[in-house]
Amino acid sequence: MSDRLSAYERIVGSSRITQLRRIGKKLGGIRVVHVNSTREGGGVAEILDWMVPLMREAGLDASWEVIQGTDDFFEVTKNIHNGLQGRPVDLSHKGWKIFQEVNEMNMERLRPTLTDADIVVVHDPQPAFLLPLCNGRKGKWIWRGHIDISRPFRPVWKVLRTMLEKYDASIFSMCEFAQALPHTQFIVPPSIDPLSPKNRDLEMSELENVRARFGLDPERPLLVQVSRFDRFKDPVGVIQAYRMVRKVLPVQLVLAGGSAADDPEGKAVLEDVLEVADENPDIHVLSLPPNAHETINALQRLADIILQKSTREGFGLTVTEGMWKGKPVIGGDTGGIRLQVVNHHTGFLVNTPEGAAHRIRYLLHHRNRISEIGVDAREFVRENFLLTRQLREYLTLFLAIRREADVRMLEV
Amino acid sequence: MTPFQVKDCGLLVRMSGLPPAINLRELRERIAACSENVLFHHFCETQLRPAFDHPDYRNDFAVWAKWYLSDRVLAERLGILDPFSMSSLEELRGVTIDIIDERLSEVVMIPSAAQGDEFFFLETTTVVFDTGERVTHPRELAKTIKGMTNGSVYYHFLEARRREPVGRDDFSAWLKGEEKKNAKYIRALGSIDFYFHSLPNLKEELVSELGKVERKR
Repeated sequence: MSDRLSAYERIVGSSRITQLRRIGKKLGGIRVVHVNSTREGGGVAEILDWMVPLMREAGLDASWEVIQGTDDFFEVTKNIHNGLQGRPVDLSHKGWKIFQEVNEMNMERLRPTLTDADIVVVHDPQPAFLLPLCNGRKGKWIWRGHIDISRPFRPVWKVLRTMLEKYDASIFSMCEFAQALPHTQFIVPPSIDPLSPKNRDLEMSELENVRARFGLDPERPLLVQVSRFDRFKDPVGVIQAYRMVRKVLPVQLVLAGGSAADDPEGKAVLEDVLEVADENPDIHVLSLPPNAHETINALQRLADIILQKSTREGFGLTVTEGMWKGKPVIGGDTGGIRLQVVNHHTGFLVNTPEGAAHRIRYLLHHRNRISEIGVDAREFVRENFLLTRQLREYLTLFLAIRREADVRMLEV
Repeated sequence: MTPFQVKDCGLLVRMSGLPPAINLRELRERIAACSENVLFHHFCETQLRPAFDHPDYRNDFAVWAKWYLSDRVLAERLGILDPFSMSSLEELRGVTIDIIDERLSEVVMIPSAAQGDEFFFLETTTVVFDTGERVTHPRELAKTIKGMTNGSVYYHFLEARRREPVGRDDFSAWLKGEEKKNAKYIRALGSIDFYFHSLPNLKEELVSELGKVERKR
């Protein structure tokens, strides 16, 4: 009996945990290897951080490998990332060559592990070229796309597709992101770990410490957006919305972002944000280290309203985190935010800074709605977006893919 | 009677492989060509999806017609379809296509959705778990249902109708083992107009109807 899985029983109920153990037993200790491009920073690393140990506890021989890359490589993969999210980018033949070479270099290191694995899950585009290099592979390979590729920049997609076509299956967070590929495409929304440092309950003293550390006024409403400094997260739009509200209400804004090893653009975006913030003492632009989980947790709990005004978003785990902390979320009407934010129930979807400002004012003038929506939001996450659900879907997906059939019913 | 085995279920969703539909004509073509599993998903499995309140309509086609094709007339006609009242999924497919054909003959312009709002055709694998819980007597049924998850209610009362014996829920099928003795329970279950209920409401209704039988005993 593993303690870690059991710890979730009080949150999701014992039957859910029993189900996980049962599927794990049915999988019978298969070797599963996850591959991505960063150990910390960003949603993918956070998911793997809990998923791999829990897969082990469910009885699988699971491991997590991180590819090593050069600065050039991460410049290229950031361009690929942006291109997949629809932004026209200039990716030269040389860029793709760097992409290929770094994958080749990593393949040499990872070959024994990947060749022998029963299942390899490759996360996002950075390591996607590993499969074409893995001759004599034993197991099934799955590509997991975490980003919104509903309308990719075609030249980037055309090249990447030639690699993805070779996979046995792919997983997307939403059906809107799926593409025409010659294999089964599963739809599995991501989830959060309610017991992780980022989401666990905090003592009041911990909240007060963070409030004091960043000079936040307890008497005035606080808006918080947590996300990497990325243009798709629209931090400038958030500041514009804040300024519209600030004309009539004494609000404060926190824009807290970490950096990720595979995101070289973050520094430039942060500089832009600081320039737009213009040293306004009520706009707190915080560049936090990737392991500042408790600080992020506290900021989300101190917030009256959580913002996630993205213009493109794979899923938006920060939305889930905010909702789990009982906060209404005002989110961009895009990608996975649409799955989570239900107007008037868990928050509001908006398309412009004006829309965000309007909803902020509405909520701040109807304080009872903030708490009512917060209660619903937390329950919505409990039902749909906690790790146990995602783990169950991954494990059943492994069962299905190993049977090589799109079965209608699977008895566990 | 053999004890009733309480099961729970979850869905593993995948793309059906059909291209998305952007307008009503494409929707018609895809519905004509899709597998029964796809049809079942968009009519019957919607109940297990994350939702807050009572959606306007129970099936995805009606919801899409309303919100993305802005065709409220079509939405209402599709929305009233009750898949469980039909003898088969093929009959359901035929009726659905008839309604769409009729609407296509009425409109001047083919209703169309914006890019990004296409209809995506999905299907699922239903993953079934034995909860280990057993019901040994009909009088325990109401109490057991009260404690069931939405997945259990869906599996035993809705999804069951697709399995042998086709068209019957698992509770009634179990009670049929001693049909004469359990006739009142079977009648009570048969009286529920279940398709338009959400799963939590359906659970309440099941508990209430079975409770009435108990009280009359």
